[in-house]
Amino acid sequence: MRRQFAAGLLAAGLVLSSCGRDGAAGGDKAKNVDTSKASGTVTVWAQGSEGERLGAFAKRFEAANPGVTVKVTPMGMDVAHDKIISAIAGGATPDVSMIGTTWMGELAKTGAVDPTPGNLIDRSRFFPGSWDTVTFNGTSYGVPWYVETRAFYYRTDLAAKAGVKPPATWQDTQAFAKAVKDKAGASQGIYQNYTVGSWQELLPLVWQSGGDILKDGTWAFDTPQMVQALTQFQSFYRAGTAPNKIDVGAFPSNFIKGQAAAFYSGPWMIYQLDQDGGAGFEKKYDLAPYPRGSAGGTSLMGGGDLVVFKKTKNRDAAWKFVQWLSDPKTQVAWFQTVKDLPAVQSAWSDPALTSDKRVAVFGETLKTAKTPPPYPTWDQIAHVLETEIQKVALLKESPADAARTMQSKADGIGTGI
Amino acid sequence: MSAATAARRGIGRVSRRAGPVRRRERGRRTAWVFSAPFLVLFLLMYAGPLLAGLGMSFTDLRSTDVRHPLDVNGVGLDNYQRLLHDDAMRKAAWNTFFFVVTGVPLTVVFGLAAAVVLHSGIDRARTFFRTGYFLPQVTSIVGIAVAWRFLLDPQSGLLNETLGAIGIHGPAWLADERTALPSLVAMATWRGFGFDMVIFLAALQGVPRELYEAADVDGAGRWAKFRRVTLPMLRPAVLFTVVYSTIGYMQFLEEPFVMTKGGPLDSTLSASYAIYLQFGAGNYGYAGAAASVLFLVIVALSFLQFRVLRPKHV
Repeated sequence: MRRQFAAGLLAAGLVLSSCGRDGAAGGDKAKNVDTSKASGTVTVWAQGSEGERLGAFAKRFEAANPGVTVKVTPMGMDVAHDKIISAIAGGATPDVSMIGTTWMGELAKTGAVDPTPGNLIDRSRFFPGSWDTVTFNGTSYGVPWYVETRAFYYRTDLAAKAGVKPPATWQDTQAFAKAVKDKAGASQGIYQNYTVGSWQELLPLVWQSGGDILKDGTWAFDTPQMVQALTQFQSFYRAGTAPNKIDVGAFPSNFIKGQAAAFYSGPWMIYQLDQDGGAGFEKKYDLAPYPRGSAGGTSLMGGGDLVVFKKTKNRDAAWKFVQWLSDPKTQVAWFQTVKDLPAVQSAWSDPALTSDKRVAVFGETLKTAKTPPPYPTWDQIAHVLETEIQKVALLKESPADAARTMQSKADGIGTGI
Repeated sequence: MSAATAARRGIGRVSRRAGPVRRRERGRRTAWVFSAPFLVLFLLMYAGPLLAGLGMSFTDLRSTDVRHPLDVNGVGLDNYQRLLHDDAMRKAAWNTFFFVVTGVPLTVVFGLAAAVVLHSGIDRARTFFRTGYFLPQVTSIVGIAVAWRFLLDPQSGLLNETLGAIGIHGPAWLADERTALPSLVAMATWRGFGFDMVIFLAALQGVPRELYEAADVDGAGRWAKFRRVTLPMLRPAVLFTVVYSTIGYMQFLEEPFVMTKGGPLDSTLSASYAIYLQFGAGNYGYAGAAASVLFLVIVALSFLQFRVLRPKHV
């Protein structure tokens, strides 16, 4: 019995070793679609609040295109990625799915997503940074749906009490943090995330110092600009003007309680603060663009993209639905439905977006915002960054050492292309 | 295999007495039919994935290969070698070891103590305590996490306020590398000992009264009775709870997942959590190797515990 089992394993091993990859995939050619008249059913997967609201929203598409039925399946945010990968493995993909902006490289490399048809979508209508999130190895595999970017949230009441304005430069930020701590009772100063997701705090600082995390197609973390960024990040912990001894769940209640007077985050926090802060809290805080480093105030671009899978049985209607979702008018209507910021630039001139000053801050920031490269290994690289960022925040590692460690670990992981 | 061959040989040799043999054949077939539902489920849902995981641990399978999982390169034992040099994995292995060697004894001892007290000490409100101690076991981990975060909050938590009242400045339990893992051990013990208690309560009822009476006659005290009568009689229950808790604690994942996300600085990263992260990152080959190692360690530990704790026949 045991010998048979061993023989089976050996056979399996031989089979495996005789396969091997047949070189790089690729050679994907975008084919045109015929959107003159769409019909049939389009199945769509979407996660989070988008998944909950898209079903009802898509009725407008059905009304404009008689004969088309859109079936939306909501997914949990935390399981969406695994569910899509499993669907690809099992050949059970939907026609259309929402994906996270950093997943494109991985999905494109599986060979399961359809390249964007050239006759359908005009890429120049989108924010350049957001179009980068759907491009992998020179081919575009989908369409940006909505965007997110980061800005500086601060307590107006505490800033007024301390006699400071929102910071315009990196130097101002340190002065701001000291002032609110010493004069306005914000015991934690300003809050910077140094745990899960902290890479989103770091990347803007690197770009604002004029650096980048890629050079000649490979990771470049051991750079003077990375050291500058980490030094800026760490300076708040060194000065005691940012908290590194609080629990994972302490944010954002520390901002609402006034312990932290500022933080950096995306548009979703507007609605969370309005909800958690209670009545009148919206008058106690405001938004400002990122303080500028030596090379400007570049922020980070995130959001959601839409892809069509190659296995779709209704390719024309699927792409037509995607095109409809990225139409400027639909984008404004979608903003009014779930507050997702439009990825199409022209949608931003609509009064719905210009009327809220807080939202308008993001509109300005988006024009220059950048995105991490959509490489298949990004998740792992992000985890490496988070580990080192945490050491830096806890004052256990110098910025230069952290940059070196990031580099050597990232070299071990590679880009995955 | 050998049994089947023997049976076939048997048919040939005792062909004249075909009756009972055929009946035995039929009995065997019935047995297979009855065990089929379990066997099919086991092969499909347990053995299959287990072997698949073991198989892919010798390849460089990644999430980008899912459409053609066989078109990958065999890498021999590379993944296993990488495990040895991976700081996070080593940290996770150490954390898991710490969790098991502190958590299992605590859980079993608390469970036994609670059972003994409830069995002999408290008469009134016994149901109340029994339910109370068992309640964490059936409460959602999310609810438990909320309660424990309140409890351990560095500024306004119950624990640090109590410590503050007697003049001790409590640490930031979950945000400090030194106290984060012990905090989770405490939480897991609190959450798990109720189950062991129920097992011990049932086992205590099975201890014959005559043994205690005989011990009384011999003039044994309370401690001697516990040590010489109760404990030996509970040996099977101890074996079960120790093996069961060890297997559970070897795979601890929920506690750091909801409380600390493995931080600060991987101080609460467990083996299961590290594997989960590698699977999530799409490194199926590497994650498969780590999972196989964890599986083997659990099997070896369980085997060892069975050897050491099995009932002794005099």
